[in-house]
Order: sequence, then C-alpha cells, then structure tokens
Amino acid sequence: MKLPAAMALLLALISAAAQAADFDAAQTRRILGHGPWPPAESADRSNRLSGNRDAVRLGAMLFGEPRLSGNGAISCQTCHRPDHGWSEAKARSEGLRLQDRNAPGLLNVRLQRWFGWDGANDSLWAAGIRPILKDSEMGGSAAATAKLLREDAPLACLAQRVAPDYATGDDEAVLVLAAKALAAFQETINSPRTPFDEFRDALAANDRAGMARYPEAAQRGLALFTGRGQCGMCHTGANFSNGEFHDTGLVFFLNDPDRKPGTPRRADPGRHGGIAQLKANRFNLLGRYNDDASGQASIPARHVEQQHRNWGEFKVPSLRNLTATAPYMHNGSKPSLRDVILHYSDLDEDRLHSDGEAILKPLKLAEGEIADLQAFLESLSVPNDTAARYENLRREAAACR
Amino acid sequence: MIRRTLLAIALLAATAPVRAQQSPADVIPLIDAHVHYSHDAWDYLPTQEAIAILRRSSLRKVLVSSSSDDGTQKLFEAAPDLIVPELRPYRRRGELSSWVRDDSIITHMEARLAKYRYVGIGEFHLYGADADLPVPKRMVALAKQHRLFLHAHSDAAAVQRLFVHDPNAIVLWAHSGFDRPDAVRDMLKRYPNLWADLAFRSDHASSGKVDPEWRKLFEEFPERFMVGTDTFTPERWHYIEEHAKWSRAWLADLPRALAEKIAYRNAEALFARTGYGYKVPPLN
Repeated sequence: MKLPAAMALLLALISAAAQAADFDAAQTRRILGHGPWPPAESADRSNRLSGNRDAVRLGAMLFGEPRLSGNGAISCQTCHRPDHGWSEAKARSEGLRLQDRNAPGLLNVRLQRWFGWDGANDSLWAAGIRPILKDSEMGGSAAATAKLLREDAPLACLAQRVAPDYATGDDEAVLVLAAKALAAFQETINSPRTPFDEFRDALAANDRAGMARYPEAAQRGLALFTGRGQCGMCHTGANFSNGEFHDTGLVFFLNDPDRKPGTPRRADPGRHGGIAQLKANRFNLLGRYNDDASGQASIPARHVEQQHRNWGEFKVPSLRNLTATAPYMHNGSKPSLRDVILHYSDLDEDRLHSDGEAILKPLKLAEGEIADLQAFLESLSVPNDTAARYENLRREAAACR
Repeated sequence: MIRRTLLAIALLAATAPVRAQQSPADVIPLIDAHVHYSHDAWDYLPTQEAIAILRRSSLRKVLVSSSSDDGTQKLFEAAPDLIVPELRPYRRRGELSSWVRDDSIITHMEARLAKYRYVGIGEFHLYGADADLPVPKRMVALAKQHRLFLHAHSDAAAVQRLFVHDPNAIVLWAHSGFDRPDAVRDMLKRYPNLWADLAFRSDHASSGKVDPEWRKLFEEFPERFMVGTDTFTPERWHYIEEHAKWSRAWLADLPRALAEKIAYRNAEALFARTGYGYKVPPLN
C-alpha cells in the first residue's frame, strides 16, 4: 500500500510541475495580481459611519425595511436578495415599476469606486439614496425616512447611538444618516476565499502540492483568461474589475414592453448618462455631506467628464461569486455564464468602434475552452454566510433599547 | 382686483432673473458630417424616426454613408433637403477589413455611382500599405472620375498614399486620424486638399471649453475642420441630438466666424468642391 501511495504523490508533484509550466512569467505575474484575498480593509473616508458597529446594525435593519418605500412594500433586499448573491434572478428589477437594468450584486461592493452600472454615484452611501428617492424604484422621501428613524424604537435607538443629535437635524440630514448606515452595513458583505485564491497563494509560495489541488479545467481556463482571452485587461486585481466602464458590443436599446407601436425605441445611455447624473446630484462627494475633509475622496467627481465613447458603456463587474448572481450583464440579457462566454467567443466586432475597445476580438473558443473558462469562473465562487450574518445583525439591531 | 393683479405681474417681471432668450438666429447652424444608417439600424429606427432625430437636432445638413448604401438612399429619399449622400464601399456590415482585397467592391461602387449621386466615397477603413492594393487604387480613380472626395478612416500613412495615387484628390480625414494636434497640423500643412472631421473624439473640448492646442490648430486652419457624430451602432442615433448640443457648446467658445466655419461652412465648401452640384441653401 505504501509504494502506490508514494508513487501517487510523486505523480501528483510531477503533474503540478507540468501545470505550473503552463503559465509563463507574464501570466504568473497576472495571476498573482488577482490577489491576495481578502484585501486589506479600509474605511470609506467620505462616510463617518464607515466601520461603526452600531451603524452596521442600523444599516442592516434599514436594508430590509419596506417602510423606506412609498408603498411600504419594497426594501433594498427586494432586489438585492441575500440568498442570490445580493442580486436577483430577474433580468431587470422591479421596484414600483420595471427597471431598465439588472440589480447588481453587492458582495465586495466596498471595493468599488463608482456605483451602479453607469457609475452615477461616487459613494456607496449616495448610491443608497437614489433608489429610496427614485419614483420608479422605492418612491420614498427624506421626510418619510426621517420620520421612521425618529419614531421607530429600535431604529431610533441605533440612530441615537451613532449620531446622538440626529433627531434635531433636518429631514435630508437624517436621510443621509440612513444612507451612510446602509453603506456601513453593505461594506461588511464580503465574500470568502475561493479555490482560485488557494491556487494563487500556492503559486506565490511555489507550493506545487497546493497548486495541484486546483482542478485542471480551472487551470486551463485561467490560462485562457490571463492569456489569449485578455479578460484580465478589464477584470483586473483581486476583485476582478478595473472599476471602469466599457462597451463590450452588447445591444443597449431598452427592451421596453410598454412601448407603444410607432414610438421610438430608447437607448440606455450608460456611463454617459451616469456622469450627467453624478454631476447634477447634490449628494455627490463635491457636496456638503461628504465627511472627507482632505478632499481626496471627491477627486474623481471633480475631474470626470463625459466623452463620446461613454454612450452605451457599462461598468466592468467583479467576477467573484458570479454563480450566485445570474442573469448577467447590465440588462440581464445573458441567462448563464456560458452565454456570457459565448458573447465574447462570437463577439460582433461591427458593434465596436474600430478605434474603441481595441483589445476586444472574437475569441472563437472551442467547446472544451468554453468549458475550461467556465470552470475557472466557477472557481471564483464559494458558498458564503453573508445572509446568515445579515440576519444576526438584524436580530442584534432589533434588540436595541 | 385687476389693478392688483397687474401690479403683481409687473412686480414679478421686475424681480424675475433676466434670462437671455436664445433666438433661432443664435443657434449656430450645424452640419453633422459623420452619420451611418446601416442595415442593422433600419428595424430599430425606421426612416421617419431617423429623420425626426436629425430634425430635432436642428441640423442643417447630414453627411450620410451606410452599410449598405441602401440606408443612405432611404434617408435621402425621405429628406433630400437634409441628407447629403456619400457612397460607402461596404455592402453590409462586416466588410470593414475585407473590402480592400475584394474585387467585387469595385463592381458594386461602379454600379452605385452610375445610379445615384454622391459628394464622396467613404467612410472607408484603410491603413498603411493597404492603400496601395488594387481595390483602393481603383476607388481613388473612381473618385477622380466622378469628382468626389474620399472620406478616409485611416492612419496618416494611408492618407499619404491616397495623395500619391491622385495628388489632386480631396480627402476628408475621418476622426482627424485620431492623431494628436501636432500630427494633424503636419498633415494639413502638407496637403492643401485635406479636410478633417472631429467625429468620436472628445479631446478637443471639455465642458464647453476648447483645448488650447486644438484652438491653435483651428485658428491656423480655420477652413479645414468639421464635426460629426459617428453612428456606428443603431443605438448611437440616439446620441446625435446630444452630440449636436455638445458641439454647439464648445463652438460657442470660439469666435463666431471661426465657429461657423467648423459648424457648417467648411462642410458646405467641401460639398461644393465635388461634382455633386451642391447648392448652398439660404440660412434660416
């Protein structure tokens, strides 16, 4: 028995060495760039409640609070479902009316620099204000939010803990307080380490046995991702997103079922519209509610300008925990990971400007390569306990007296 | 009661902020010199809707080329007062990189030129030494024969080769080659028959202010630039109106005479140089 076991170990080490050899120096560098995970945590300097434990509890309570909406029936978690990667299975979300876009997942949302598919917000807390106030989403108001925080016992208890004089502030200030607490909570929705992270760290440590534990199909998919696919050009870093906006050749006409015959179709302006909204938003980081006295946090909002290419661009999403957040793309037009891969495999170059997204070329993947790429993407997902932790936070919050 | 109401109206008028009313004469006429109406746009955007977008954008003229040319003809038939047609060599989308080696393109262009009138041939994509291939060379000869300009989405090397094939050619350089102002300057100095559109580039202006380097270039070559949207996908038709607003905003940062040239006079001068018989319409 001992000899076969030793042989098996030897074979495994040789196999690991062969697999490692599949990654050249440049690819190895790129792979290492997708970690370590989790990244170091840092507070959001624009939000004085960032990292505040009571604010996290208050935010968790508010996240599931339907009384924030105009009809008392819609909360944040209606579309950002904890059991669905903090997204939902619908292609396009339904608030008070059908939305134009898919609800983005919120796992690791603290790592983003722009918020929403169009980056219309430059802080997580301002991104929480938009759905509360928007007529077609939750249809709430500053007045109703302030009333709720002043009158509901557990909410008032927590709000008083994080901002003792909040009740004397005007309604808008209380709305911002609620949004900052919501952001403080969302900053805690983080995904755990994945099989990819174990492989990446084994590669960093030249731990061949550790590398060998990563499935071969995922390794081949990773080679495609960091090599011919050039996927890592936009899906960069530990969170697999450069946080910016690109046109990947998707159709961005709005699928508007209520459109009357003979009336023009509408296009989703994407990032172009997002920048316009950002500039016009009094809750942006150039406004009075930014808690960052250094001015650092507001630099992007100060300098971002609309460009022609922004028309129809959407944010590069993170690839972590993708398996939980189908359907995909800004409009939920791709039901499965395979559909997403096929989009890039059969990319319609005519939909891209010839001087625009120069790295995007049809990958023309073979069936095996599609499976490998999918295996790699799936290796970025593991079950997580964020839904359970959310429920715990809500229980703790409800006990505040 | 009436007196009190009149007094209230008078007070309101006196205290209301004075808002400069923009009269139609203040809105600078604009020619969009880079629009495509290709086959994938026809279903999404029927001809009348497309024309409505152009009218809503208060455009004086629109230079249109399409894959296929049928798109251009549809628009021209619907609004001959608005559409200025140019012949794109492509019969469908997807020929962008193959047309230079496809002899049947010549037959296609010859047939269209025999049937319809155009101001130019383009917009075509042509880079470097590909300009010396037989198909592009024949295209240059056709442009010469029919007195048409060439609308080239090209690098400087290909534009230089076009002028080798016909030193008297007139070339409209799409996107100003996406080159830096210095490089564009060198080309404009070297080729008096070279014009340049500013489509799909944002570096010459920001927030209604013209970039200083580009301002110098516009002042140095006031009669060689024009604006355009580039509707390379159907969705971008919905950007035409926004683009017109954006263009008018930065043009307002230039002296009026220079702004008018870039906005529409240069395009009209270019159209008038061709065998199309372009008549400059009166200003509204």
